[in-house]
Amino acid sequence: MSTQSYFPVPPGVGMEENFLSLDDILLSHERLPVRTECSFPRLGFLERSSDAHDIPEGTKMELPLWLSKGLYERKRKVLSVDLPKVYKEGWRTVFTADPCVVDLHKMGPYYYGLGSQILHFDSPENSDIAQALLQTFIGRFRRTMDSSQNAYNEDTSALVERLDSLEKALFRSGQNGLNSFQSWEKGQASQLTASSLVLNYRKRKLADVQT
Amino acid sequence: MFCEKAMEMIRELHRMSDGQLPAFNEDGLRQVLQEMEALYEQNQADVNEAKSFGRSDLIPSIKLRHCCLLRNQRCITAYLYDRLLRIRALRWEYGSVLPANVRFHMSAEEVQWFGQYKKSLASFMRSLGEGEGLDITQDIKPPKSLYIQVRCLKDHGEFEIEDGTVILLKKNSQHFLPRWKCEQLIRQGVLEHVVS
Amino acid sequence: MSDALSDDGSDINQDDSQDVMTPAELIAKLEEAWLNEKFSPELLENKSEVVECVMEQLTHMESNLQRVKKGDAKASFHRMEIDRIRFVLSSYLRSRLQKIEKFFPHVLEREKSRVEGQPSLLSPEEFAFAKEYYTNTETYLKAVALKRMPLNLQTVDLLKAVPEPCLDSFVFLRVKEKQENILVEPETDDQREYIVDLEEGSQHLMRYRTVAPLVSNGAVQLI
Repeated sequence: MSTQSYFPVPPGVGMEENFLSLDDILLSHERLPVRTECSFPRLGFLERSSDAHDIPEGTKMELPLWLSKGLYERKRKVLSVDLPKVYKEGWRTVFTADPCVVDLHKMGPYYYGLGSQILHFDSPENSDIAQALLQTFIGRFRRTMDSSQNAYNEDTSALVERLDSLEKALFRSGQNGLNSFQSWEKGQASQLTASSLVLNYRKRKLADVQT
Repeated sequence: MFCEKAMEMIRELHRMSDGQLPAFNEDGLRQVLQEMEALYEQNQADVNEAKSFGRSDLIPSIKLRHCCLLRNQRCITAYLYDRLLRIRALRWEYGSVLPANVRFHMSAEEVQWFGQYKKSLASFMRSLGEGEGLDITQDIKPPKSLYIQVRCLKDHGEFEIEDGTVILLKKNSQHFLPRWKCEQLIRQGVLEHVVS
Repeated sequence: MSDALSDDGSDINQDDSQDVMTPAELIAKLEEAWLNEKFSPELLENKSEVVECVMEQLTHMESNLQRVKKGDAKASFHRMEIDRIRFVLSSYLRSRLQKIEKFFPHVLEREKSRVEGQPSLLSPEEFAFAKEYYTNTETYLKAVALKRMPLNLQTVDLLKAVPEPCLDSFVFLRVKEKQENILVEPETDDQREYIVDLEEGSQHLMRYRTVAPLVSNGAVQLI
């Protein structure tokens, strides 16, 4: 792998979203259970289960995070946001009891990201959710770090399959560090290599020809 | 649901996480702009009705459509911006002339942006120091030796080294060349740095 | 490193004053600036006088090299030295340009709100580059998409859209001048702020925000 020159916009930190980050756009597409607190005239078609003209008040439906955030207001409530089950008390207990056993990819894969975003909705459980996120992260961090530092030249798919997307990014950066260190130790750090971007383009060209 | 097309475009880019540039999704862009126009018109109509007939009950729906408009705007801007970052990377990896199969994936406006980027970068590099400037797209890794052993991975033709000597870069031939002369060709995959 | 540089015996005058720097000091300055720039999350103040002097020095060394006989063993040492200095200089300028591109609206905003007499973040060449990058990108986004959107959506505030540098990221540093009473902000709700002394020569891992002023006045070196 050669030095890459593509630096995508990183996701926001904590409760922030970065407007131009592809990761944050994907994260904000995650769906939340909501209940409408007023009627939405002429938008009945958005609600799959009915063919009514309007979305009536009191409808329970799922909306993406970005829309829930856009519509949510403290003063004039047009909808209330419910917690997805993994952030509810039952699951929080499971997570904090033994954070290492849960499959955060299946539960997420934006478990931390979505959890931080949910704090925008003023749930009375907010501080408990924040605590659970932090404790879960701390509980798993050591294992994520160790495994990223000990897997050299081997298939890592089993190691990352249960990680949340934030943990995956950490794992990758740990692996990059390990690989650079190994190549330095072997005296290969100054070897000039082809750009991986160039190589991948060539692979793609080859694939195009073959199909 | 609204904004699905825009989301598809984002996913399409996100899948190529190594920075490759997929073909410009002209059709996707057009569809999103169409959806935006429709949302906007519907909102204009509802706003007028809300005003003229006191239909304040329409406001939540207007707000919802407006959120969708903003979402589409964000997705499109992020799509275009991320592509610029990928195109910028091409200048650093390939040099200022791009192979046809890469250029093929760029829109006319992206080619224009790239041209301007190259120009700005070139005049920045030229302005360094008093003389001809400094090419900072070279010297990516710290030098260990002046000359390096390279193997030619494909026929490249004649190549001039610093003192005016011309050598022929033929597939599978090996050469001992000044490092700084080879860097770009190695990055482009024409030469391979042989480490003993 | 100093040997190859000073063989002509001349020193370099910095900004025509009495402030004289030897080539070895100059290269040390470049290396300091390079490491700081590489590891700090934000763009640091430009060191264009160092860049200019190093460029001059490189030209000077190149022309010295022309006079050395071919095949002379000394020549390859000199060439190596030139290559190494050129690498550090290029790498330094690359890090800066990368951050200018990454944070361009903020970098330009800082420049706009700069008070007369306050040193500029950007060298004149970097400023020109940043302005062109801004115009090029803004023009592009407008032409391709924004101007085809409904009237109330035709602008995107780049200052809000493009993220700012994250000053809360952590950096490694070595203390060059002893510092007393540095206030360290708490990291979590149940911590309290506290005060540390930084001993000369000691190394630390700290939040960049805490030490940013010390980086810019040269009291600590990022590593």
